[in-house]
Amino acid sequence: MAHIPDGFLSIPVLAGTAGASATALAVAARRSRATLGEREGPLLGAVTAFVFAAQMLNFPLGIGASAHLIGATLVAVLLGPAAGMLVMFAVLLVQALLFQDGGIAALGANTLNMAVLGVGSATVAVRALRAMLGSRPHATVTAAAIAAWVSTALVGVAVATELTLSDLVPFTTALTVVGLGHVVVGVAEAVLTGMLVSVVLRARPELFVHATERTRGHGWRVAALTGLALAVMAVAVVAASRQPDVLDATLMRFGLTGRGAPVATPFADYRSPVGGPWVAGAIGVFAALLVTWGIALGVVRRRS
Amino acid sequence: MSFHHLDQFAHTASPVTRMPPAGRIVGTVGLALVAATLPAGAWLPLGVLVALSCTLFALARVPPDVALVRLAWPLGVVLIASATLLVMVPGPALVRLGPLTVTAPGADRFATVMARAMVALLPAVLLVSTTSFPELLHGLRALRVPGAVATALGLAYRFLYLTLDELERLQRAARSRNAGHGAARRRHLLVAVTAATLGRSLARGERTHDAMLARGFAGTLPLLHVSPWTPQAAIELAMLLTVAAAVAVQARVG
Repeated sequence: MAHIPDGFLSIPVLAGTAGASATALAVAARRSRATLGEREGPLLGAVTAFVFAAQMLNFPLGIGASAHLIGATLVAVLLGPAAGMLVMFAVLLVQALLFQDGGIAALGANTLNMAVLGVGSATVAVRALRAMLGSRPHATVTAAAIAAWVSTALVGVAVATELTLSDLVPFTTALTVVGLGHVVVGVAEAVLTGMLVSVVLRARPELFVHATERTRGHGWRVAALTGLALAVMAVAVVAASRQPDVLDATLMRFGLTGRGAPVATPFADYRSPVGGPWVAGAIGVFAALLVTWGIALGVVRRRS
Repeated sequence: MSFHHLDQFAHTASPVTRMPPAGRIVGTVGLALVAATLPAGAWLPLGVLVALSCTLFALARVPPDVALVRLAWPLGVVLIASATLLVMVPGPALVRLGPLTVTAPGADRFATVMARAMVALLPAVLLVSTTSFPELLHGLRALRVPGAVATALGLAYRFLYLTLDELERLQRAARSRNAGHGAARRRHLLVAVTAATLGRSLARGERTHDAMLARGFAGTLPLLHVSPWTPQAAIELAMLLTVAAAVAVQARVG
């Protein structure tokens, strides 16, 4: 549920997210005036049309669910953060007004999630990863794929937080259902973004010169991103350790717990032999990063 | 593919289409905001907003069956999204449906969210039925959306058909080769087709933009007629927003 419909969010959340989005878009519009020239017009239109069309395509995930491209990382890589945020806002605006995909009143929240947080976190992640990995094509594709997963997962956390702040569902439930859903969908987003970036790198490498220019001084951004990931993990671990998740609660409600032979798992209930839930959470985050990294590398090698 | 199946009542003479596009957008956003922020259990204000929206549909000469059909898809999406609230919100059990338990607070929040969403969708459906895309763009420009957003939307309106055309051609070519049978192959095919579409649409977009510039494109989509602001239109919009504001106030103090 990346596009939040109307009726779900409370007035303070609607107002707060609208204010934050408006401020971020105003800054983005101001910056884009300096960076966008005459030649960027068609690129802007083509990428907007492509993201719009790509969001209509649902990809079967093979688990009875489907997902579509969000496109935040793609626009961040092709257009840079300022123009990328504006393009995502344009897509969300048309979807809300013409196709009722996402609410009109909730446009601020959807913009904050997908345009501001999605594109912003993708930009920071891509630049930080390129600073570490280098600027070769393989590194760019890998960085874009990992950034797509990080960005999608953060969108899920943002949606879960907004639903909780609106007093609709408990945070643990929202994080489990919405956040976990986005973590899974993020893998598809990572694969797709990696392939799309790979195609553009081969066909139009000059598009990447400005948007993903490797610059110095990203150390603090890497630290900030790591800090944010750890903060999210900390909140999730604390929230998850206090009460059973939605699946456990449902099983307990129907008396289905304790049936069948338990399967031994190394970190059951977020417990680690050393260090408790914090170490288990850190290992989980690291393992998820490794899996996404591996998938991205596999995609790159297959495409090259 | 075109937007014309959406805005088929844009050229029907009515008080709604006589309203300038910017006024239509402001009215739609106002009604949607009021509907989406009504407190739980405010059924009478919701009923007033439904009556107001139905009156606007009648004034715009949009038949009820058309409105209901257009409402069905987005409402279905909201239904799927909000149905989880029935069992996700903790509280005393109301009814058991197989392995799931519907809780009383869950049912309450589900009803509130569905009612709010439906009423908020009504003005959006009216807007899309009575406003063409160039009119919408004109209205957004009048409301001072950032220039890059207006440019992106204006060009995307033109390029979207080209992109979808490329997409359809690639999918047709794949189908003619019996590609994409089975979920895994279909997934692989869709990814490959999407990637190829991006490359082609970027190249075709630039060629089309050059052609548009050669024909005098100056960044705005031309409109043969735009409803101008008149005192009557301003008064009608002010009345609509006043009624909406009164409903919002009554729902909180009444």
